Amino acid sequence: MTATVASKVPFWRNVNVLKWIAQLVVVAIVVAIIIWLYGNYTENASRQNIPTNFDFLDNPASFQITGNPLSQNAPVRDALVEGLLNTLRVSIVGILAATVLGTIIGIGRLSTNWIVRKLATVYVEAVRNIPLALFLTASVLVVVLGVFPQITDAWDLAGLAIISNRGVAVAWYEGSGAGLLLILGVAALAWYLVARWRSHVADRTGALPRSGLWGGAAFVLVIAAGWGLFGYSSTLPSIEGRGTTGGIRVDPSFFALFLALTIYTASHIAEIVRGSIQAVPRGQGEAADAVALSGFQRMWYVILPQAMRIGIPPIGNQYLNLIKNSSLGAAIGYYDLTLVAQTTVGNGSPAVPVFFLTMTVYICISLVVSALVNIANRRMMLVER
Amino acid sequence: MRPMTRRAIAPLVALTLLGAACTSDDDSGGGDSAPADTEATEDTTATEDTTATEDTTATEDTVEVVQADESTLDAVQSAGEFRCGTRDDLPGFATVDETGEHVGFDSDFCRVIAAAVLGDATAVEMVDLETPDRFTALQSGEVDALVRNTTWTATRDGNEGATFLQPNYYDGQGMMVASDSGFTSIEEMDGVIICVAQGTTTEGNAAAEAARLGVTWEVRPFEDVDLLQEAFVAGQCDGWSSDTSQLVGLRSAYPDGPDALTILPEVFSKEPLAPAVADGDSEWAQAVNWAILATIAAEELGITSENIDTFADTEDINIRRFLGLTADDEAVLDPGLGLPTDFAYQVVSQVGNYGEIFEEHLAPLGLERGVNAQWTDGGLMYAPPYR
Repeated sequence: MTATVASKVPFWRNVNVLKWIAQLVVVAIVVAIIIWLYGNYTENASRQNIPTNFDFLDNPASFQITGNPLSQNAPVRDALVEGLLNTLRVSIVGILAATVLGTIIGIGRLSTNWIVRKLATVYVEAVRNIPLALFLTASVLVVVLGVFPQITDAWDLAGLAIISNRGVAVAWYEGSGAGLLLILGVAALAWYLVARWRSHVADRTGALPRSGLWGGAAFVLVIAAGWGLFGYSSTLPSIEGRGTTGGIRVDPSFFALFLALTIYTASHIAEIVRGSIQAVPRGQGEAADAVALSGFQRMWYVILPQAMRIGIPPIGNQYLNLIKNSSLGAAIGYYDLTLVAQTTVGNGSPAVPVFFLTMTVYICISLVVSALVNIANRRMMLVER
Repeated sequence: MRPMTRRAIAPLVALTLLGAACTSDDDSGGGDSAPADTEATEDTTATEDTTATEDTTATEDTVEVVQADESTLDAVQSAGEFRCGTRDDLPGFATVDETGEHVGFDSDFCRVIAAAVLGDATAVEMVDLETPDRFTALQSGEVDALVRNTTWTATRDGNEGATFLQPNYYDGQGMMVASDSGFTSIEEMDGVIICVAQGTTTEGNAAAEAARLGVTWEVRPFEDVDLLQEAFVAGQCDGWSSDTSQLVGLRSAYPDGPDALTILPEVFSKEPLAPAVADGDSEWAQAVNWAILATIAAEELGITSENIDTFADTEDINIRRFLGLTADDEAVLDPGLGLPTDFAYQVVSQVGNYGEIFEEHLAPLGLERGVNAQWTDGGLMYAPPYR
């Protein structure tokens, strides 16, 4: 055996050490740049006596968020929280609506019916290629200000909704919101349990499970029981003076933003859904036909589960885009987080800390949504055998 | 030594060196990075209470350095051009005509400052700013002064880092409604929607006024005046609230004609509109301030752009001193503002006095002098003596 001479490689030629040194140099450069930028900023700000800390959060906001009971003397912190809630509201509602609409149109693009297919194609191709800011302006000018009538001629939909260019007033419940969430949770649980029971029955007796019908019925019954037991009532909207009373009023800016975001994001989601359905091996569809599954069953039990596995990451991306695009509401007066931040800066809060805080909040929201999407993705992947 | 320990030494040494470099105190300014580093250390290691004190000591150091290095007055005079922050969409105050020139009350005051500082009223670059960005532009030095019908408030003096000068228009907030809405007073307006421009004192004032009157107003902000007008025409707004001078201008340019709108009689806030400069340069602030005061003083002395040359041989010492006129046995006053000794002459001859500027741009809209008259006529325009 040859004796290996273990001569120590000097550290300036030792690859391991060099790798460490290279990384350290890069880190040092990045840290130095950040420190230099921060130093520049604090020096410039202190020259003009502009504060560089977060004390502005305790200052009064001096503006009132449209449609919000928060007083204008409330601290900036509360106003920012309201802005965040507004962003979340339009984002969550927009995500739900865009997913449903996008999935339907995506499946429609693959329909055997020529008209349905053509309409879906026209929708997707037209909407995908229009910038969202333009869409939003059109949504406000054309739909809300153009089509919707003035409050004096508002459309009354059987007393359940009143539509005008001052907002959409919809019949709403009266009672505790948290309690309603609890009832909905219990109802969902009831649906799940009843559906499971029905599938057991189907296994035992061979009868059709019809778990959708039974589960749905249980859902409705639990809600009705909860409604009656806990004394909920409904309020219907009506026109009073130059506004509406009763029900819940959807702000016209919210409605315009929701409409634009939903239609725009749905067109992207439709393309993703179409692509993922087409990526499912053709044999799966043929096998489903061979086992005599109906069109709906084929889609719901065979194709969509496999398609979703492919489609979830890009759809999650579209959700993140929707959340970020909700900041365009600032241009139409919807008090989302971005507009609240801009207004507080206009009222005297120092610009850099405010926007740093706002960006951090947006990053946190996006990270949470990405994490949820990744969880969903991982769960779908585990299902595969 | 074991390999792991030896591998750990290099990074530890590097970090120590880095830490030493960043936390060293620098007493004699050795370069740009020195004050930056001390700022960073003081900010990161101090608690909230002490940060304030440490910032002020650092401010004093850096302010002296800055004023010795770069004064805005010198910078503008050597550049030969004055950048004026303004707008292009407010009739009467600042609009752009067919030739691309800015025309209006505020635009003329930009020219007044250029005439005083540079001797040439055309040596001004008009920088159009959106309302939410105007203070950031001033703070960052993008514009040398802001002449953009901006209200002087305590927060803007403080947190916004602006220094406000002699107000060139004392205004108040008013309400404009459609003539066929039937409103004759703001007290009748309950449960209505009021539309305002975003990022202005108008929002807060409207909400405060509603609270004071005990009525409910829903205040909707609009970033763009054009979008606001669309909403008003479509009937989404019952009232349009803004500075009365702005309302008069907007009403004159309303697509359905001025008679379709009524401005209600109540004025419910004080809006002193004044030019502003950035904090921290009092030499520049005073120079700009005296340029504006020159227009007011000229009107008080009866000097207009038409008759200014008739004063060449006047016996009035005050006028001779004011216009910087020279004679054989006379010394010309140089008050040390950094302005040329004949700055007032340049201002009045090239642009005009306060009354002329007002007459040309605001009187056609129907605005009266009111509180903007000279103090001798019962108004608020009072220029300090030039001596």
